Amino acid sequence: MKGADILLQALIDEGVDTIFGYPGGQIMPVYDRLYDYTDRLRHILVRHEQGAIHAAQGFARAKAFPGVVMVTSGPGATNVVTGIADAMIDSTPVVVIAGQVGTNLLGTDAFQETDVLGLTGPITKWNYQIRRPEDITWAVARAFYIANTGRPGPVVLDLTKDAQVGMAEYKHEKCSFIRSYNPYPEVSDETIMKAARMINDSEKPFLVFGQGVVLGGAEAELKALIEKADIPSGSTLLGLSAIPSDTMQYVGMVGMHGNIAANVMTQQCDLLIAVGMRFDDRVTGKTSEYAKQAKIIHIDIDEAEIDKIVKTDLGIIGDAKNVLPRILEHVEPKKHGEWRTVAKMCNAVENNRVIRPEVHPEEGYLNMGEVVNKVSELSGHSAIIVTDVGQNQMIGARYSRFTRSRSMITSGGLGTMGFGLPAAIGAKIGAPDRTVCLFVGDGGLQMTIQELGTILQEGTGVKIVLLNNNWLGNVRMWQELFYNKRYSFTSMINPDYQQIASAYGIKYRAVRERAELEDAINEMLADDEAFILNAEVKEMGMVFPMVPPGASVDKIMLNDKDWFDYGE
Amino acid sequence: MENNNNLYEITVYSENQVGLLSTIAGIFTRRSLNIESLRVFPSEIKGIHKFSIKTRAAEEQVIQVVKQVEKKVDVIKAFYYVEEERHDKELDAVEALINERMNKQNK
Repeated sequence: MKGADILLQALIDEGVDTIFGYPGGQIMPVYDRLYDYTDRLRHILVRHEQGAIHAAQGFARAKAFPGVVMVTSGPGATNVVTGIADAMIDSTPVVVIAGQVGTNLLGTDAFQETDVLGLTGPITKWNYQIRRPEDITWAVARAFYIANTGRPGPVVLDLTKDAQVGMAEYKHEKCSFIRSYNPYPEVSDETIMKAARMINDSEKPFLVFGQGVVLGGAEAELKALIEKADIPSGSTLLGLSAIPSDTMQYVGMVGMHGNIAANVMTQQCDLLIAVGMRFDDRVTGKTSEYAKQAKIIHIDIDEAEIDKIVKTDLGIIGDAKNVLPRILEHVEPKKHGEWRTVAKMCNAVENNRVIRPEVHPEEGYLNMGEVVNKVSELSGHSAIIVTDVGQNQMIGARYSRFTRSRSMITSGGLGTMGFGLPAAIGAKIGAPDRTVCLFVGDGGLQMTIQELGTILQEGTGVKIVLLNNNWLGNVRMWQELFYNKRYSFTSMINPDYQQIASAYGIKYRAVRERAELEDAINEMLADDEAFILNAEVKEMGMVFPMVPPGASVDKIMLNDKDWFDYGE
Repeated sequence: MENNNNLYEITVYSENQVGLLSTIAGIFTRRSLNIESLRVFPSEIKGIHKFSIKTRAAEEQVIQVVKQVEKKVDVIKAFYYVEEERHDKELDAVEALINERMNKQNK
């Protein structure tokens, strides 16, 4: 069998049915063979390789299956670097297959040759150059095993032309063991008992969960634990939707633009239980102040995360799916009614001072929060929410409510503007039965706007909600708050989005009036086709509450003048 | 730049994979750690390579580096020592780890 066929057959045997890609010189032998596999492999032709990798990320996160990317050498490979870094820091399983020049040309600065292993080494979970056709099956099997086990991440296969055109025998192999790699760390009963005891002894426990719960498929186990022990719980940005927003113990998102209750409880609890999260600085604020009054249990599958940022009293290296039910067995049913009134008090302040004015303003331009709130409501809180990066992301996270897991897809760690549109396309392709709503700013949309062409070609029914304020809003907001209102290069003169939508054959509606908002959103949600809703929102919109950078997380701005006061 | 930190030796046992040296070196670069000396050679265990890397750093940082190195899929185990400390037991530890994982796999 030809190397190119071996690759495609190996992908099929790994369960792959979708590839996001863009052809080019050094991957042409594979594309030539792909022409005969269209009954088994759907290839999505993107408009730029960056679109392919972000789409694969969105696909992976919606479908819980590795996204596959196929690109050519040189610029094809370098164009996916941002997405690889994004997938690495956000633990997204992605397998990238990049063409490479023939082995006789390696290191000669041949046309479209670049050092892909060197470039992607620090931002991949594993990478490997395939030089011979007989190594393809082994490398593909290993790539999927590594990408999708333990803490998931991106893998790059650098596929030389010799390997693509050479002949070898194909025999399917499955990889389930690598002696230098242990994705299933064992947790002793003693450690489990210790964690359960700490929870039982705690009078004011607080739990923060992250994407590790979703990646481990431990949503039900988490919910059972927090309900049994009545533990107030907050989510990181990437943990959102792991448990339904209306769970009684759920107090919202932690971090810079998180909910007041979640941040205040972090600073008042006597035990912090962190599950599948990594104490990003957007979560912790000033780390030396972070939960310093509390004992800390940190559960994560990645040993390198334990004690990296926050020193723990008990580090548990393990999968949430394995650890949580075992702890659950040993925790005593409890009621923390009095402790949970802290959340009620904080929520009252946040509702009065921030949420109500944002969601139900009496006059003036549309607010971002009221648009997001309405979209969430009219989609029955069951859509997959995809965001770009910036104000649209924070507002999207704050004002969406969730009833199903895997409903929040956003670029958390890397904060990649331009992520949103292609990720939404990938999410819709990965979960075609679900409504996918993208919140994106006018800046981020234009970073990868070429992917409207992918929507045109594939007929992908993505609902694009453009929160259009004619500014690079988040940077503008920081300029207003921290840089003396010197708006250095953040205002944008935007194109006519109606003409853009029409050029790509995508339905479009602009909305500016509050009275029309509901009708516009209903029109957008009426069918399963792509739609651009251009919400012309207040230009100088802000995102509050806000923990200013470098401050302790209970130092919270309610607006540009007032600070949250716990006694209020 | 003056660096008054202790000299540490980090030893790494790994598969022999192309690109691993640069990836491991990158873990030091990213933290602005100078590598004072570096040796890579076949270990006493057949098919497994050994790195010996010396660097000046705070112990906290060395611990982080060791964890990040160990996190690499092709790395079996990493250790660290203050200079001159003896490390005759690490071979046994690496062999024990491989055997343990093999046994678990065969179960």
